Amino acid sequence: MIKKTYIIKNKLGIHARPAGQLVKLASRFKSSIYICKNGNEVNAKSIMGVLMLEAGFGSEVTVRVDGEDEFTAIDAITDLIDNRKFDEE
Amino acid sequence: MPKHDVNKKEIRMRGVPVSAGVAIGKAFVLGCNLLKVESCALQEQEVEREITRLHAAIEKAKQELALLRDQTEELLGERDAAIFEIHQLMLEDTELVGEVVRRIRSEKKNADRVYLDVVTEYEQSLTKSKSELFRSRVTDLHDIARRVIRHIQGDTDKKSDHLPGPSVVIGTDLTPSDTINLKQTDVLGFATELGSRTSHAAIMARSLKVPSIVGLGDLCRLISTGDQVILDGNAGTIIIHPDEATVADYRKLLKAYRAYVQKLEKCKKYPARTRDGKNIELAANVEFSEEVKPALQDGANGIGLYRTEYLYLTRLELPSEAEQFTEYKRIVRSVGGQHPVIIRTFDLGGDKAQKHFHIHQEANPFLGFRGVRLYSGNESIFTTQLRAILRTSVYGKLRILLPMIASVSEIRYCKEMIEKTRVQLSDEGVELADEIPVGAMIEVPSAAISADLIAQECDFLSIGTNDLIQYTLAVDRGNKYVANLYRAYNPAVLRLIRDSIRQGHEQGVWVGMCGEMASDPLATMVLVGMGLDELSVSPVSLLVIKEIIRRIEYAECENLADRVLGYATADEVEKYLLSVFKNKFKDLIFSELHNQYNI
Repeated sequence: MIKKTYIIKNKLGIHARPAGQLVKLASRFKSSIYICKNGNEVNAKSIMGVLMLEAGFGSEVTVRVDGEDEFTAIDAITDLIDNRKFDEE
Repeated sequence: MPKHDVNKKEIRMRGVPVSAGVAIGKAFVLGCNLLKVESCALQEQEVEREITRLHAAIEKAKQELALLRDQTEELLGERDAAIFEIHQLMLEDTELVGEVVRRIRSEKKNADRVYLDVVTEYEQSLTKSKSELFRSRVTDLHDIARRVIRHIQGDTDKKSDHLPGPSVVIGTDLTPSDTINLKQTDVLGFATELGSRTSHAAIMARSLKVPSIVGLGDLCRLISTGDQVILDGNAGTIIIHPDEATVADYRKLLKAYRAYVQKLEKCKKYPARTRDGKNIELAANVEFSEEVKPALQDGANGIGLYRTEYLYLTRLELPSEAEQFTEYKRIVRSVGGQHPVIIRTFDLGGDKAQKHFHIHQEANPFLGFRGVRLYSGNESIFTTQLRAILRTSVYGKLRILLPMIASVSEIRYCKEMIEKTRVQLSDEGVELADEIPVGAMIEVPSAAISADLIAQECDFLSIGTNDLIQYTLAVDRGNKYVANLYRAYNPAVLRLIRDSIRQGHEQGVWVGMCGEMASDPLATMVLVGMGLDELSVSPVSLLVIKEIIRRIEYAECENLADRVLGYATADEVEKYLLSVFKNKFKDLIFSELHNQYNI
């Protein structure tokens, strides 16, 4: 199991479009992937879950990945959140 | 239907106008009443069946969304289509669906009830969000719920769709079963999310002569039954919750439009003849048998182009001879023996016909395997169509038109096939007309340049401007980077048209035009002046073109055509034609001229 914490850096936060990107990305992996904000943990493969987090700009989220492809999964998620900033910058 | 805090500010959306006119009234959203959801207790043995029903409904909604996405992308671009990807994800959401399934099992209640309950809970927590970006997702979620619940409930409840009074009918897409219970005199217009010029709502709107707009993205999400709405079927604009000033503007527009229509209606019964006595054969382009009757009522001299592609594109299997025969016969019969019906053999190709014709991905489909070029490699499909067409020849005045002709050898091949089929049918004892004229489309520059050679091989020519312009100017009209170069009034195009007409006449055949240019009121004088014998126009344009013909003299048109052919650029031609038009037909400036030339 891998755990990693991120600060959301795109201005609009994880609103619908980034949430869609994250869910689509997470769904590609066999591992179970959860994302947590303020003690509220949701399935990262569920768009409703991710939207319910209301992760706005500057919020801190922790991603927990557990499964056979957890390393590639966490790398891909890091790329999306930290490097690409959901392609919004 | 649960109330949302719909922003009552004026909302304007652009779609594809498919039937002209203006409507102001109350919206009636078809299918919205289906969100009335009952609660029923399930027997133990019914639970699993209910879950199957849920999954089937989600599957159907998924297909519907995929279609919606594709159409929106095609019409409005990828950005507007992106919302449907979010919808798709919501629809498939494992947590949401999982919760619904769990609760159907534990509460033993009907799927639509549980689905609505679960969605409502999600909606409630989203509504509490501080950010508008999250709150606005409620409408998306609600749209999903509406689709799924409609599919869970099936089509059985549609009977309840009676209009409360004159209404603008709104829907995702309208099928004949959706509209069957609508009182036609209460339909002010149609607006749909899906659809095209040829979808049911569009055809029905044109035959009822009410405005219709299709391709309105996520319209149903933004509008509820009872909302005030304006439909401008000329511009393709729908306005939801219009403010007072807008309503006043549109009332004026509506009044002007009515006066315009009334004026045109007067020429219904009169022939399309110039003031100095030249008769122009004014025919209609149609795709469906339903379009024939209204066109004839507007005084069309028959059908100048009956497109048959529809039969091949709307199904997975090829249309059988019997099916085609029934369809063609209906059209030929409804026109009767007085006027001709020109049936064009299938003009498929590019991306549209891959499934039937084993066409591989082509780098440049418009220059590829399409139109008449498909026939020799697919002889049995061509023969089947020819048999169906020829068999209708005893029911009226049938003519056959061949698409995408680029050279004489293609006509010779087709004529040989027609002759072979004719002999075959005669041998089988089928009654056929003695004379079935065969014509060629002039839509490839090579055919236009050698129109004399083409004319020697056939009985008439019909100029197809859409392709002729795109091939002559090397412009793909669908490509936004060059679309502005697509100009019907480019001197090269005008010369090709003039020469084709002249060469056809020298060979003793008549020459018509069935392309979009024939429906352009600005072009009428030029085309008549160049000597065209026939104009085949879209049914909505029939009356305005006829009114123009009835007001002009052939002699003045000849002069005008000469003058126009002396100009060096499309801009100069258009500018001149506009000034003439404004001068002569000031009272006819309505119609699509409005948008096309901004006058």
